[in-house]
Amino acid sequence: MDFEALFKQFLSGDVAQQASILRSLTIFLPELVLSCSIVLMLVARLISLDRIIPTHWFALLGGMGSFVIVLFQFWQFGESQTVPVEVFTGLAIHDEFSIFFRGFLTFFLVFVIALTVLTGIPDDEDAPDFYSLLTGAVIGMMLMSSANHLLMLFIGIEMASVPSYAMTGFLKGKRRSSEAALKFVVYGAGAAGVMLFGISLLTGILGTAQFSELAPRFQAVFVNHAGMQDPATRCVALALLMIAVGFAFKLSLVPFHFWCPDAFHGAPAEVGGFLSVGSKAAAFALLVRLTTSLAGDGTGALSQLSLSCGLGLGLIAIATTTFGNLAAYSQQNIKRMLAYSTIAHAGYMLMAVSALLVLQSVQSDLVFQGNHQENGPRAMEGLLYYLCVYLFMNLGAFAIVALIRNQTYSEEIDDYKGLAQQAPVLAICMAICMFSLVGIPPLGGFYGKAFIFASVYEATNVHWFMWIVLGAGGLNTVISLFYYLRVAKTMCIDTRPADAVPVTMVASSSPALYVMLVSGMVVFLGIIIDPLSKVALHAAHALF
Amino acid sequence: MGEVGLSAYLMVGAVLFVCGVVCMATKRNGIGVLMGVELVLNGANVNFVAFSRYTSLGLDGQTTALFVIVLAAAEAAVALAIALNFYNNHLTIDVDRGNELQG
Repeated sequence: MDFEALFKQFLSGDVAQQASILRSLTIFLPELVLSCSIVLMLVARLISLDRIIPTHWFALLGGMGSFVIVLFQFWQFGESQTVPVEVFTGLAIHDEFSIFFRGFLTFFLVFVIALTVLTGIPDDEDAPDFYSLLTGAVIGMMLMSSANHLLMLFIGIEMASVPSYAMTGFLKGKRRSSEAALKFVVYGAGAAGVMLFGISLLTGILGTAQFSELAPRFQAVFVNHAGMQDPATRCVALALLMIAVGFAFKLSLVPFHFWCPDAFHGAPAEVGGFLSVGSKAAAFALLVRLTTSLAGDGTGALSQLSLSCGLGLGLIAIATTTFGNLAAYSQQNIKRMLAYSTIAHAGYMLMAVSALLVLQSVQSDLVFQGNHQENGPRAMEGLLYYLCVYLFMNLGAFAIVALIRNQTYSEEIDDYKGLAQQAPVLAICMAICMFSLVGIPPLGGFYGKAFIFASVYEATNVHWFMWIVLGAGGLNTVISLFYYLRVAKTMCIDTRPADAVPVTMVASSSPALYVMLVSGMVVFLGIIIDPLSKVALHAAHALF
Repeated sequence: MGEVGLSAYLMVGAVLFVCGVVCMATKRNGIGVLMGVELVLNGANVNFVAFSRYTSLGLDGQTTALFVIVLAAAEAAVALAIALNFYNNHLTIDVDRGNELQG
């Protein structure tokens, strides 16, 4: 169909088409609410309304409204329909998986806005800019999680990245902040360019950009081809490698992790917390969507593709966790340490994706499949549960860093000595977050790790390499114990030097309540697992 | 006039891509690095349009190219603002001079 025919069809007002656009817009409502809140914030400053109503209320209400709509969609999905819907002529898809992530991201947005209000990082003058960037980035992440087309994949990634660059450099007069932003934007733009070139090659060879079409086309193109001697195979491998570069940058995987510690070190702690959870979660959603649609039903050439992608990701996961944990060990700055810890956690989560792909590669093998039907969704459930716990434990750690910074103007671990004597709330909550990041049993982090390691163990039935992945995961958990516990020990056991800046935190003040709520959720997710894991499993089933 | 084939366009795209990557890797000036990124994006755009003409990709390729042009402009705007901010703090846009964050 050429352009003129399409345009005529649009003008003639086909009823069915208009109905489908209307339906798409209804499904798109959470994003529209967030977009409206951005416009409102900017207009409010134009007419000086922000002097009467502080800007963060617009952002907060937008985030909450959007979250409520997503909850309603979730409820509606369970009640009336169970089939995924393609919206906007197949650019995006609406299923339980996308609802789960959109809910996750809007919930997270509300928590981040609440944190910035408590720590006061954007002053009144800058607030509309900051919250527009924050909300805009979340809209981009929501698009990433519901993408169903390679164009949408790129738009989502760019929409999430570009505001992140600006937020990293938000402290305008700080040398470090501007350096962090420059490094972030140079790496990010380069990775996005390489990724786009990979996408162009992939769409060209397969002749489609639709996710659901990728696997059948792949099957059709490669039905007679075999081995790396074939130019088409090499070209697809190159394209996938280039797309993997883009993902590796977003997820800060080795060897594309260099930006992460620098960006987190230079950026305000609130922005670091946002980037470490939000953009990771969205990028994982997108990675899972792309890889599962590439793996398809796991027959013929697809089985080989799925297995090699899975093993490749497993190798990257080992390198990433090991590097992240070893580098975190020697850090003096808490934000830098948390950045390396983020890298390590991206590696753990990547293990789940790797296990998923390895399990998918034997999907069509009926003998094997008999009693392993649930393995794929189980691996996904582990990833989703881990992300939910990760939201609370990482946000909690960054929130405490921001609150202490507001009083001592320092982010060095040594300056945290003996905080338990002056601000026991902060020290205890920080200890909870740290223990959960290690994965010590009664806390949420343990179950996230346990789910993921269990699915990696299942994948060992398919390929021996997964034993190495499992071993590396276990070994890394032990290594990570040392540097997380060092922070907890510094805060809780050491004595506070006499000349240190005093920190006060009344247990009933709102920052203290916020921190207690977040770390309380970490404990809660470690004790009551069932509701969330059921929702996660339900969302995971949408992909298979 | 004989029509040139798909591979000619792909060759142009690949040359643009390689020039862009070399530019990103070797330039020390921040603006120079960003110019390299633009070359890479436009190399991909040439591919998209060529595939759209010669394969079953159809209009998808051309729409993608249009979107990429817009996104590249947005990214360049933010990147230039960040470069300006870096210049205000460091009085240079030499990317090698950003060496305070290490470890």
